[in-house]
Amino acid sequence: MPAFREQLKSRFAALGAVVIVVLGALVVRLWTMQVLAGEKYAELARNNRVREISLDAPRGRILDRNGKLLVTNRPSLAVALDPADETIRSLIVRAQSASKNDDPTRAEIRETLGPVADMLGMDPQQVFESIIDARIEALRPRAIAVDVPLDVIAKLSEQGSRFPGVRVEQVAVREYPFGSVGAHVLGYTGEISEEQLKRSDPTAGYELGDIVGKAGVEAQYERVLQGDKGRRLIEVNASGRPIRIINEEAPIAGRDIRLTIDIDVQRVAEEQLARAIAEAHRQGFTKAKAGAAVVLDVKTGEVLAMASAPSYDPAVFLGGISQSEWKALTDPSREYPLNNRAVMGAYPPASTFKAVTGLAGLEAGITHSGRYYRCEGKWTEMGEQWPKWCWKRTGHGSISFDGGIEESCDTVFYEIGYEFYKRKKEELQSFARRFGLGDRLGIDLPGELRGRVPDAAWKKEYNRDYPEWQMWLPGDTVNLAIGQGDMLVTPLQMAAVYAGIANGGTVMRPHVLKDVLDADGAIARSYRPEAAARVPVDAGNLAVMRRALVRVTESGTAASAFRGFGVTVAGKTGTAQVAGKDDFAWFCAFAPAEAPRYAVAVVVEQGGHGGSVAAPAARNILAKLLGQPIIEVHAKDESR
Amino acid sequence: MIGTSRRSAGRRPLDKSRKERFFDLVNVPLLAFSALLVAYGSVMVWSATSGMAGGDGLFKRHLVGVAVGLVPLGVAWFVDYKALRHWSGPLMSLLAFLLVSPRIPGLGTTAKGATSWLQVAGVRLFQPSEPGKLVFIVVMAALIAEYEGRIERPRDMWRVLGYLAAAIGLILLQPDLGTGMVFVGITMAMLLLGGLEGRRFLVIGALVAVSVTAVFAVDGTLDKIAGKDVALKQYQKDRLLVFIDPERDPAGAGYNLQQSKIAVGSGGISGKGLRAGTQSNLHFLPERHTDFIFAVLGEELGFVGAVALLGLYLGLLLTALSIAASSRDLYGALIAAGIIGMWAFQILENIGMSVGMMPITGIPLPFMSFGSSAMVTNLGAVGLLQSVWSRRYGT
Repeated sequence: MPAFREQLKSRFAALGAVVIVVLGALVVRLWTMQVLAGEKYAELARNNRVREISLDAPRGRILDRNGKLLVTNRPSLAVALDPADETIRSLIVRAQSASKNDDPTRAEIRETLGPVADMLGMDPQQVFESIIDARIEALRPRAIAVDVPLDVIAKLSEQGSRFPGVRVEQVAVREYPFGSVGAHVLGYTGEISEEQLKRSDPTAGYELGDIVGKAGVEAQYERVLQGDKGRRLIEVNASGRPIRIINEEAPIAGRDIRLTIDIDVQRVAEEQLARAIAEAHRQGFTKAKAGAAVVLDVKTGEVLAMASAPSYDPAVFLGGISQSEWKALTDPSREYPLNNRAVMGAYPPASTFKAVTGLAGLEAGITHSGRYYRCEGKWTEMGEQWPKWCWKRTGHGSISFDGGIEESCDTVFYEIGYEFYKRKKEELQSFARRFGLGDRLGIDLPGELRGRVPDAAWKKEYNRDYPEWQMWLPGDTVNLAIGQGDMLVTPLQMAAVYAGIANGGTVMRPHVLKDVLDADGAIARSYRPEAAARVPVDAGNLAVMRRALVRVTESGTAASAFRGFGVTVAGKTGTAQVAGKDDFAWFCAFAPAEAPRYAVAVVVEQGGHGGSVAAPAARNILAKLLGQPIIEVHAKDESR
Repeated sequence: MIGTSRRSAGRRPLDKSRKERFFDLVNVPLLAFSALLVAYGSVMVWSATSGMAGGDGLFKRHLVGVAVGLVPLGVAWFVDYKALRHWSGPLMSLLAFLLVSPRIPGLGTTAKGATSWLQVAGVRLFQPSEPGKLVFIVVMAALIAEYEGRIERPRDMWRVLGYLAAAIGLILLQPDLGTGMVFVGITMAMLLLGGLEGRRFLVIGALVAVSVTAVFAVDGTLDKIAGKDVALKQYQKDRLLVFIDPERDPAGAGYNLQQSKIAVGSGGISGKGLRAGTQSNLHFLPERHTDFIFAVLGEELGFVGAVALLGLYLGLLLTALSIAASSRDLYGALIAAGIIGMWAFQILENIGMSVGMMPITGIPLPFMSFGSSAMVTNLGAVGLLQSVWSRRYGT
């Protein structure tokens, strides 16, 4: 036994200990990493190698109340650039990398993307910009053109090697079998905007490049129509090249929805609105360009038609709207064709409001059916220095309350309004609000306006910088009584008021959705009609008003428009004075008067007189609804 | 003293059986652990290269390396290690030549920033620093053995450290930082067995820390003055520093470290199965058949496979330690200690870097990493240990 062994015994032990400590430390480290933190690292490894591509769900279709397809999908050939291709991926990755030096040069972009851009008639630089957005999923093919003609597709596929990464995909785009009919209700679709993306529900999984509803029903029922995306998990290697598909979840198609709109009535409403504008021109009101018409079912609040002029073609938005088209649609001289005036237009209701004032007066006991008024043309109750005039300057002479409605006599309603003023309780305003005026009705369409029912508090706040104009004056209530002054309503609100009068004081909430359908066409859920407002009004007073409104179409301001109409109609004309503009023509009605089913409101901006411009349009819309012949009407009316 | 012990232990009983004589010559555990490690390594190299372009060729080259390594194993075993002690002078020259040779014009070639390959007539032969480790061990063993297990005078320690510093100085010419660190590991193990006082290791530890800092500072200054890498390459510095600051160089060394940790960690308890490692086969892991072979093992065979490997290493190192303890002289024991130091340090450094415990340097994992130079060297080391074992009774 060599002596050094004895001498160095402890040294051997120390060396052994070092070895054991080294290996022990490694075991401990491996234990923490592999056993304790294994899950975390496994997740990191998965994220390393798995990329997700979402698969778009087919968008739900939109049907009218009779099942006619209003908006559907048609297959379209789209050209996309696929990052699975090495050259395309390289362009994208380098453009997205932080280093400026890596950015692809213009020459390189031209070389890679030039051929396909030329085929599609696009600029290579523009194609490049559209594919490098870092917010798009890495492996998602970038669509660069839709509705590509077949001959271009054929060339692209024949000479595939000239066009690196080019994929032809069949995509679904919106199709509108009825063209622009119903455009304002239906709305249009387009790529989700950044702002929409920010505001969207994070669980809905929206991503840049998604097609979403932008207006109308498309926007309102976006979540129902959109469906759920599918997803495809792709395994990639370290350089991002796809290796295989790991898993695929099929998308779930969006639901079809059925609207309350009857496309045939809708078409007539739009035609009649256009004819009313033409008629206004014929009568010398050449500034008439815009208007709206609404048809409600008085029992349910269903919107059977909702027209707005001018209109637009929703198909121009397919595949992205061009700058020039967008400019044309938003140019002020074009009267904003994208706006749905039925809910986004606020006008003074003028004499159509007299039905509300009249009912309020009857309810308050200020007036009654047999009460007679004296109309001299000039009305000076508030003092000689503040005269008001009836539209008929020569005066109606002795005129009853019912006659006031029939002839739209302003004096009768000045009297009623002045009486309300003197009572100082703002009863007229609160009565108007009970009909839902001055607030949104809650229709299922975006952008609905509240309108305005002016009162003392409002006036004070509105003129807070002009103390001398803050006081509520007798003339304010008197003007309000004839629907002028600061009163503002939407055509939808006016239709709802007349539906309410027809429906015993209950205003049903207007809506355009009838039901949502299952994949097999069965009804998944229906819109349940509900009351939007209940006006506590005596049935006898309602009967008085109804009778008076019938006289309007039989012998009053709208008699000429309704001559020969086979169904009794209760309605009221209106001619709104708007500062700096020609008069706005109004007509509101419900029919049949004895058993009301439909309420209609028509307004033509700067169209002149309600009885001669708006009432004929309403007549023909009602004719379509009630099975009466649609005829060309040239009516006369000088009232306001 | 050595003389007497030789006489007393050297007498051999004449009635030994053939079997006993076989075990006198052959240390079965050493060969068994080595063989198992070589086999384990071959399986991992096969798995790691299976998805690579030309992977088959690499695997065959690995097996050729193993076969070639049997030659130095046999030679080292056959040669009496004691004779080497008298060849210190020529061996030192050989060592110097091996360390400098890649820098000699016409002989060296550059790969991955370091000039560490010997190349003759356009044929890449081997990395001379690998066998250089064995030569270093033999030379240092002769040096330290002079002190007969007691290094008490500081000047003795400084002399040993001087040789170490000279060797490191030469290797930094390549520059091969990893091998330089292995030299330190070897020297420490030999000094531990060679009788250096415990507290002196603290001095050496402080010295290493200071010199590393100094090297970085001086090198950085030189780089700034020259405007380019003078001695250490920037990537080497990044690799060292990324261990401290993972955010440094996230696309380069930091990426490698992160991918390696993901590979090992995601292996979990039982691993993803051979050739089924996603980190490895989808090319996220760099250098996966060489420096990062352990990450492949950790990912594919999990904690179980990793502990099995560490178990084999433990067996190998303890066998080597027992050989050191059974050596007939201090010189043989020091050779064994040097080999233990070499292997232990490489295991610690290589696995340590794969799991983020140690800085990243290009040190192969003994018997596991692809690379013939290292394989030949490690099998040569096994031969040296056998030589010490076979001659423990004297002839």
